[in-house]
Amino acid sequence: MRIESLSIKSATIAIFTIIGVVAIILSLFAGSYFRQAALDAQMNSLSRVIEVASQEMLKEVSRHTFDLGMKLGHSKDLIQAVRSIEKPGGHSRLVELLDDPFVNGFVGFSEIDLEKIRIYNMDLELIGQSSAGTKGLDAQFADNLTEQLRNRKHTERLKAIDALWISAEGPLYSTLVPLGGLRPIGYLEIINNPVFNLPDIGKITRTPVNTFSITGEKINNDDHDISHGYLPVEFTLHASDGQPAFRIVGYENVDELYREMEETQLVTISCFLLLSLGTLLFALWLFNRFLFTPVRQMSMDMERITHGKLDLKVNSKGLREFHVLADTFNSMSEQVRMRTNDLERLLDMDDSAIMCFDHDKEAVYINKAATSLLDYSNDEIVDLDLTDLFTDDITQLMKNSAVHDSSGQKKLHTSLTCKHKDGHEFQSTAVINCIDVMGQSGYAIALNSASSSKETMTGQNEQRLDAVEQSLSSLLEFAKNNPGLMSGLGNIGLLDSMGVESDKQKRVLREQAVNVMSLALTCWERDLGKTKLDLAEESKIWPVYIDKSTPTTRTLDKYLKLDSCPKNPRNQRVIDTAEFVLRKMKNRTTVGRKKLQDALNAFRLLLSGMKSAG
Amino acid sequence: MVIQVPHNPHIHVANRLKLFIILMLLSSTLAAEEKPYAPDVIEGTLVVTAEEAIELILNDPDLTVIDARKKTEYVKGHIEGAINMLNTRMKSEDLEKVCPDKTRAILFYCNGTRCLRSTDAIRKAKSWGYTNLIWFRGGWKEWTDKRLPVVTE
Repeated sequence: MRIESLSIKSATIAIFTIIGVVAIILSLFAGSYFRQAALDAQMNSLSRVIEVASQEMLKEVSRHTFDLGMKLGHSKDLIQAVRSIEKPGGHSRLVELLDDPFVNGFVGFSEIDLEKIRIYNMDLELIGQSSAGTKGLDAQFADNLTEQLRNRKHTERLKAIDALWISAEGPLYSTLVPLGGLRPIGYLEIINNPVFNLPDIGKITRTPVNTFSITGEKINNDDHDISHGYLPVEFTLHASDGQPAFRIVGYENVDELYREMEETQLVTISCFLLLSLGTLLFALWLFNRFLFTPVRQMSMDMERITHGKLDLKVNSKGLREFHVLADTFNSMSEQVRMRTNDLERLLDMDDSAIMCFDHDKEAVYINKAATSLLDYSNDEIVDLDLTDLFTDDITQLMKNSAVHDSSGQKKLHTSLTCKHKDGHEFQSTAVINCIDVMGQSGYAIALNSASSSKETMTGQNEQRLDAVEQSLSSLLEFAKNNPGLMSGLGNIGLLDSMGVESDKQKRVLREQAVNVMSLALTCWERDLGKTKLDLAEESKIWPVYIDKSTPTTRTLDKYLKLDSCPKNPRNQRVIDTAEFVLRKMKNRTTVGRKKLQDALNAFRLLLSGMKSAG
Repeated sequence: MVIQVPHNPHIHVANRLKLFIILMLLSSTLAAEEKPYAPDVIEGTLVVTAEEAIELILNDPDLTVIDARKKTEYVKGHIEGAINMLNTRMKSEDLEKVCPDKTRAILFYCNGTRCLRSTDAIRKAKSWGYTNLIWFRGGWKEWTDKRLPVVTE
């Protein structure tokens, strides 16, 4: 596609459409990315929630074990039993006291699964433990915790410590408190099984949670149906020494999450697209208001100016660039107008008759002196050719007698027999010059004025013809670039517009024109009973000449035969004539009228086809 | 057709009640936000941490420890050897009973830095002529946060 065929409006709309499409694609991509990101965030969030819930669960366990430890740690009986452990029956008494919570319970009994209660001396050596509870535990405090406790000094050793540790029986949770309050005589360890409290994690997170041992055995099973629509999120609960203790798997209801995300996605994408499209439409409106409309208006104004309306000014209201462009164009058209006027005035001021004919011998330009000499009006001139104005065969004369001047152009000084409009003929000396008219050879003829002497005029005419040639070249160039700009230049505009047509097309056009004119005249004469002269006079489309006191319709006659029809027929005149005849026939329905109407339609169709092809 | 709406005094009262509740909630929220902290220091009083308090308790058998909180809070847990004496009900003679010598050290504590009971109790004790006053500013919160031994009843 050529860039010239693309308008600013089309290009802008195309760009905006691309932006719109890109916005839609980006929003869809962003929506998808957002969905994945939201899912990842939700998974991370649930993992952290499980971690926090696990810590909360252990904290709650710790609260119960601390309370039990404080109660036992301040028990005078227990303190006394520890002090008397070396005495007979002392150990059994101690065991009896340590078994008491297992038998009689304690505050928070139902909240934890108490596994063992053990007593250590200040050096963390086991001195007694409950007989109830789990068996087979090592007879010592967990190694890493022992080390940690021994490193504590003074009052630090009074602080209770909690630990999740891995025993031979599995993970256990211990709370170690001083026995004897602020003046300890040993330590009391409350051991419980955290598995009992693992389901609390699910209650805190409010999601289905399954717990597994590190070896993969399922410990707790949630009652929820998690076979469909749930995404597992795993968290590993570590012991105090860093070893993995439990694998906790929470299940996120992704169906619900997806539903919420889709709703959010729909709303955000819709809002984004609405805003984007709204902005684009607003931008398009702004473009249309400040760019497209001024450009269109300016183009239309420029076209009208180039078609001859030189007094028209391009509207310079608008953005700065348009203002500058319009002002510049107006200034340029003013200069063109002035130069054209100057050139035309220059040619018209000359009292010699100056005429210019194209390759087809049709008049291209005739100055005022020529029109007054031959008594033709401006409108009539455009229908004239060499044979209408001269009896001599100019072409043959130039072939036989022309000489080349210093610049290499063919020139001829001769006497020509001119035809006056009223039919009488007269002799006039002339200078004929071969010139270039729209790329083809034409003729410029200067006739002597009556008041000048022959010798003087010969020299003057040569100079005039040179000036005419140069002026015509300029005018023809203008006419070529600005068809219709110079209305006074006869056929020049027409020459240019027809230049694009092929000979075959021209021939078809002429045939059609002749056909339409013949049918129109037939209708006029047969159906309306009038003459050809009546047609020319009533329609005022065709000139009527007085040839030796006899009115003739020379121009109209040319359009009735293909041989005499101009190479570039006046199509509008043909159409106007046909319409005039049809109008005059009013409602009469005849075969001739139908034929004329059909021929006119075909002629118009042919013309429109040729214009669009041009 | 015009419908006559009878005047219902209950609706009017209900609206006023709603407004009153909203204002109360608002004021309580504002009050909670504006609850003051205990001062960093009290002039003429030694401020100690939990560890320093333990050292004092262990090293000075004559030290009197006063728990200025409510009885219900005291029962749930308190520092070993502490005597419950709510600041608003604390009287000169009560304090004299547990500490007749006004030069002997007395340690006061309450719930923590957002509690002003011990501050008030110390102010009273000072006005009654007690000179050796110690303030465990962190109070019960600091004690339990550090998981130090507590006595429950």
